[in-house]
Amino acid sequence: MSDTIVNLENVGVAFNAQLRMGSPRFWALEDVSLKLVRGMRLGVIGRNGAGKSTLLRTIAGIITPDRGRVMRAPVSCQLLSLTLGFVPHLSGRDNAILSGLMLGLRRREIVRRLPAILEFSELGDFFTQPISSYSTGMLMRLGFSVAMQVEPDVLLIDEVLAVGDADFQEKSGAALRERIHSGTTVVFVSHGDKQIQDVCDSALWIEHGRSVMQGGVDDVLRAYHAAPVAKSA
Amino acid sequence: MRLHYLELILFSTYAELRAERARSYLGLLWWIIEPAMNMATYYFVFAVVLKTAQHDYVPFLLVGLTFWQWFKSCISHGGHAIWGQLPLIRQVKLPSQVFPSVQILADTVKFIFILLLLFVILWCTGYPPNITYLALLPVLLLELVFAAGAAYVVGAVMPLVPDLRFVIEQILQVMMFLSGVVFSLDSVPESMRRWFALNPIVDLVDAGRGILMHARWPDWSALGRVALISLALYAFGAWLIQHLTPRYVKLPT
Repeated sequence: MSDTIVNLENVGVAFNAQLRMGSPRFWALEDVSLKLVRGMRLGVIGRNGAGKSTLLRTIAGIITPDRGRVMRAPVSCQLLSLTLGFVPHLSGRDNAILSGLMLGLRRREIVRRLPAILEFSELGDFFTQPISSYSTGMLMRLGFSVAMQVEPDVLLIDEVLAVGDADFQEKSGAALRERIHSGTTVVFVSHGDKQIQDVCDSALWIEHGRSVMQGGVDDVLRAYHAAPVAKSA
Repeated sequence: MRLHYLELILFSTYAELRAERARSYLGLLWWIIEPAMNMATYYFVFAVVLKTAQHDYVPFLLVGLTFWQWFKSCISHGGHAIWGQLPLIRQVKLPSQVFPSVQILADTVKFIFILLLLFVILWCTGYPPNITYLALLPVLLLELVFAAGAAYVVGAVMPLVPDLRFVIEQILQVMMFLSGVVFSLDSVPESMRRWFALNPIVDLVDAGRGILMHARWPDWSALGRVALISLALYAFGAWLIQHLTPRYVKLPT
């Protein structure tokens, strides 16, 4: 049991539909159970609105469930967030430090990794320029390079496996795959069967906020596709 | 608070000030010009137009406004901080207290510049530095704790009731007049003065004026009362933010 690092039991999460007092709540997650074991690479499949992103944020500890139980070993769970907390008028370098701090790194750790960030992002002299002068591609390169410096125990990925223009996509994809296969525990949310088959060693299927099945990737994918397409919520 | 969050607050403060400088043509100069214009407005209305006959009115007004504007900006900026950072709060697990703290710290840095300018003005107009300046540090620290506590409470509630942002400026405006910032509370009827005395800003501004204008040591028992109120408010504000944080991520976008 000591290897279970996150365990959700019948977890439900409700959001406020409106700001008004007494407004109805809607349950983004109704009843989800999952068990995450150290080193597991878990793929989460489900249709739009099934609650996949909410599930990731619950695992990350950002959302506290309204019912059910969450057990989390003392490990760091981090959502792979690009350009988190970026401020337009600051230089790429300062934004890298700021974003790194928000992602849980200590300042001296980020400063030590600045050369690596600069190199991976290929920003050159732009690194010390305000990011308001960056193109979208440059911004993504910087965001990705910073995010890759964070090494959480559990890495949570929402769809994104590669970013930027064609060349950088290949590079960022390779870097992320390397990270995923380096023994990190991963939870990966995706629409694509192929990506889940590539990346994951087990899968969880959720439907309308309920976990339907957790098991081997092929078994879960087969059951998922055999099921009649439910009406979207 | 853990050391890591302290680093985050400090660097975010630097980022905030840096970005603010970059956002306008005159940059840092606005830190001085904006409060100076504000002071000039009140000077014009109360000293020139209404001809307030009070002795020493100009330094009285300048000290009052310097102390008040710091408090006010902490609350209006700190009060909006969590609400303004909701997208970030939805994405990453951080104590929400970080966000108002950054604003309060940034406003404190700006306040220090204005305070130094105030010193120069006072020294040049016949109010030299004196031994009671030693008491300035505890007075300012108390004001910081009080402002932070108030900003935390407003900041904690704002995401749940964003309507608050329409009334907060009005409340602050009323509070300014009730705090003896622009005119002396001596003219307030005796029966009401007891209630006015509960307002910590009255004691803080009073202590500031005593030190800077009359070389008078503060009324320590009054400051003791302010300390109690401030610490209680600070603790309540910090608790409230922590208590309400789980609800912020569940608000409609």
